[in-house]
Amino acid sequence: MARLPKQNELGFFEIRLESIGGLGANLAGKMLAEAGVVGAGFNGVSFSSYGSEKKGSPVKAHIRFCDINTNIRDTTPVERPHVVGIFHEALSKTINVVSGIYEDSLVLVNSTKSPEELKDKLKMTGGTIAVIDAIGISLEEENRVNMAMLGALFRLCDFLDPQTMKDVIRKSLEKKYPQAVDPALRTFERGYQEVKFQTFALPEGVSLKEFKRLDAPTLGYDTQPMGGTITNPGNSILKDLSISRAGMMPHFHEDSCIHCANCDNVCPDFCFVWDEQPDKRGKPQMFLQGIDYQYCKGCLKCVVACPTDALSSERETDGYHEEHRTPHRFNLAVNS
Amino acid sequence: MAIEISREIGSGTVEQRMVYESGNEMAAYAAHQINYHIMGYFPISPSTEVAQFLDLMKTSGQHDIVLIPADGEHGSAGVCYGASTAGGRVFNATSANGYLYMIEQMPVQSGTRFPMVLNLVCRSVSGPLNIHGDHSDLYFALNTGWPILMCRDPQAVYDMNIMAIKLAEDPEVRLPVIVSFDGYFTSHQKRRVQTFAHRADVLKFVGANPPEGYPDVLDRNNPITVGPYMNEPDYINNCYQQSVAMYNAEQVFDRIRKEYFELTGRDYPILDLYRMEDAEVAVFLMNSSSEIIKDVVDQLREKGIKAGSIAPNMIRPFPQKQIVEALKNIKAVTIGDRADSYGGYGGNMTNEIKAALFTHGNHDTMVISRVYGLGGKDFYAEDGHALFQLAIDAVAKGSVEVPFDYYGHTKGASGKAPQRVVNPLKYEEVNTGLITVTQDENTGKLNVKMPPLRALTKKPKRIAPGHGACPGCGIFSGLELFFKGIEGDIVSLFHTGCAMVVTTGYPYSAHKATYIHNLFQNGAATLSGVVEMFWERKRRGELDKYNLKDDFTFVMITGDGGMDIGMGPAIGAALRNHKMIILEYENEGYMNTGAQLSYSTPLGHRTSTSNVGKHQGGKMFHHKDTAQIMAATNIPYVFTGSEANAQDLVKKAAKAQWYAQHHGMVYGKILITCPLNWLSEDKDGSSIIGAAVDSCFFPLYEIENGVTTITYNPEDKNKRIPLGDWLKMMGKTRHMVKPEYAEMLKSFDEEVDRRWVRLKARHENEYL
Repeated sequence: MARLPKQNELGFFEIRLESIGGLGANLAGKMLAEAGVVGAGFNGVSFSSYGSEKKGSPVKAHIRFCDINTNIRDTTPVERPHVVGIFHEALSKTINVVSGIYEDSLVLVNSTKSPEELKDKLKMTGGTIAVIDAIGISLEEENRVNMAMLGALFRLCDFLDPQTMKDVIRKSLEKKYPQAVDPALRTFERGYQEVKFQTFALPEGVSLKEFKRLDAPTLGYDTQPMGGTITNPGNSILKDLSISRAGMMPHFHEDSCIHCANCDNVCPDFCFVWDEQPDKRGKPQMFLQGIDYQYCKGCLKCVVACPTDALSSERETDGYHEEHRTPHRFNLAVNS
Repeated sequence: MAIEISREIGSGTVEQRMVYESGNEMAAYAAHQINYHIMGYFPISPSTEVAQFLDLMKTSGQHDIVLIPADGEHGSAGVCYGASTAGGRVFNATSANGYLYMIEQMPVQSGTRFPMVLNLVCRSVSGPLNIHGDHSDLYFALNTGWPILMCRDPQAVYDMNIMAIKLAEDPEVRLPVIVSFDGYFTSHQKRRVQTFAHRADVLKFVGANPPEGYPDVLDRNNPITVGPYMNEPDYINNCYQQSVAMYNAEQVFDRIRKEYFELTGRDYPILDLYRMEDAEVAVFLMNSSSEIIKDVVDQLREKGIKAGSIAPNMIRPFPQKQIVEALKNIKAVTIGDRADSYGGYGGNMTNEIKAALFTHGNHDTMVISRVYGLGGKDFYAEDGHALFQLAIDAVAKGSVEVPFDYYGHTKGASGKAPQRVVNPLKYEEVNTGLITVTQDENTGKLNVKMPPLRALTKKPKRIAPGHGACPGCGIFSGLELFFKGIEGDIVSLFHTGCAMVVTTGYPYSAHKATYIHNLFQNGAATLSGVVEMFWERKRRGELDKYNLKDDFTFVMITGDGGMDIGMGPAIGAALRNHKMIILEYENEGYMNTGAQLSYSTPLGHRTSTSNVGKHQGGKMFHHKDTAQIMAATNIPYVFTGSEANAQDLVKKAAKAQWYAQHHGMVYGKILITCPLNWLSEDKDGSSIIGAAVDSCFFPLYEIENGVTTITYNPEDKNKRIPLGDWLKMMGKTRHMVKPEYAEMLKSFDEEVDRRWVRLKARHENEYL
């Protein structure tokens, strides 16, 4: 009988997965939970955070394991995880993905960066960081990111038997998609094998900040306009949706642009920035200035629509967004 | 469904099997074991999955339940009511506003005494829309005459579902029964659940068939009249019978649960009491939160506080005596209501418990009432401690300081009140003068003058960036392309759906112009009210103060779901011919609730309620032709459009505005992609829509004052493609081009062609 390596005061070993919709974190969480409950015989509970479940939006999956005789009465999200699995590195831009970790928690990140770089990026003072290049592996094996992440998560959760999981992967795929069995197994195995760990001791005299639940909304019953009416519409421009990009983005090459507006017609996120300027004959005409990457979710419809080479599909690299963003010129209200 | 394991725990006599599933999965699992005859349903979060799981099981032949996708919850209740009069077993699941939409049918079914089982997956009933768990829908159920069973976790969902049908069909009861569990907390969290290993044992318990000897409209030898016209003095006697039956349900349930305990080792006494024997303070909660409170009780007991918790397994009939008995030595009890009864100084449970105490002469137990956890607000152990503290404080003081209040609401910092972020659009910006529409004096036809689309990029978008739609969502490119053709100011009304949800996640809104949401069965009626108020206030001179430069263009935006459940009001608004536009973005399914079939979903297409497997090949019937239905109301202008034919769509928008300003109602439908649920590449949206047009599945045409014109004919330019070329572009339809679906593809092809040929005939003859 497997034993849980750590338990909180209620007897739970807790895992939280941080992702954006569409990367398969929900499914990975489900499979991980089943491996613990059905495979290893723990008691357990698992669920995802729900909202408007759109692709590209932040999602969390929560898993609790405990001994078979421990009652599970809690339905609240995992706040103090022993393991965090971060499927999408860019999330840390807008979300505190390591919220509530213990000093000895394991933080797994899908990344090509080194643990040191990630420690800074995630603003961690100490702890163990595990890194896996799940995107790289999945591209090489032509399989899904979540299989590589699942493999790495099994390595982190060494009380679970990876063989059980492999059997489940085989069983669930072989009937419908027999050709997918081997790539999935290889991706899982590579995730398991290639994950790298590094532990950073907390600096002398430094302790982790005490966990504080932050669930109070900005507005309250004294400040919220009656009936839920939004009195400052258009304020969605304040949001940063760049974390919705799962790796690809369009690049704009002005030289080849014929300003036909095909891109503008198909863009779901209104990212194209135009300006009226005199054309060669001095007549006012609209010219495409560039892309406001703050709102671009990387769907690449514009690249397909473009009749020239002015838009191309590229792997996103660090810093490109900031350097090449053409911000919208909104007519901002002046608030004192 | 998850893997089943055969490990056994428990002391029951029947063979059991362990599964690891959610509450919704367990409701579906129990229903499939009972093998109900009929489920009439309509999707609404969070209960929708129940129908989805049953549909999925059906594709592998695991049950025989006839799943009927109704046109709305009212329709689903009608399907269920009719089916229950016809003698078989009937099942349904719903939530929140869906339940309220069917509520008119609930007393009809209980009053005419036809059993069935409804799973009420509890969710907030609201405006501002909230889809999360609380008990505000459940509290509306209290007066409908249905016994109500309560479930704290997925295990209870399974067990109560097995017991519910037996309770409903009992000769002493003969009432429809509600099984209630908490949305998301219970419906979506997976847990270990013990089940009957064999359907035969389930059927042995509930009876293989419903008991005979009751009204059955299919018994031709005994004709009956169901639902007569009954006034006083008879009506009160019918109610009395119903009241007696309801109270009988308590003893009957008590008998059934004992039998169930023998079989399974799991017991559901009317009240779930935890450490109440010697308790002095208690908390009363229902469903999911009544579990974590037990941890709190344990923690308080460790500190020497005599705490206990009470949770009912049944609230109709209300277990008055048992509650009074449980509270007899309690000095103070905090009652948490997960819904308010506004103005009632306590939620329904508070007031019913107070009435129980009064009735049975307990004047000593102090009662503290708190409304908590609304709209899915999480209930943590700390919150449980806070509720207990209220009771502990009352005992210390000897009185209750604040008998009724909310718990968990927040004041907000005064400096953070909302302030305008972007200035309102200037009239000159949206009224560019780039597009002009004039009517030909001789022919009456409209001439549209418009510049190349490049010039229209000058016009600001009506919707701001920063909305949360999926990457590649076709809604917003489609809507904004349409709006490029609209000059001047708009007021929009969005039906419930993806476009509404992703643009208005509080406290954000992506709508630069004024926008209204109403639930998607009623948007057309709602906007017609706005339109008529505009004209009447304008006539009375009340709008002069706003210095309006022009009349608004009123636009209702709906998905194909809203044109199913909202078809009636849309037709009503069309027949009244209000000056407004209804624009439908069709993505062939109810995508916001998780890709269930809509009536517009074409034959054979895979959705979450038309799965593909050995026993079922996607959707079973042909797609709805909404444009033709709306055309039959004889409104001045009907059109179809797509982003793949941009110029065509902008031109139609300009015409739509002209008709809506001068003559009356316009209806337009644009086909748009949903890469997430069409299982297609984000980038391919426009190409897929283009293929749908070129295959003649989605012809582009307009009907102006009854005269049909095809505005783009792929045959003219030799561009028509076979349906299969379009279908193979999407994961949801790829199976349709396989040989085993040849017959289905043929049927689809024939239907598409039949509609296309008729359309061409109309195009050629203005009298058709």
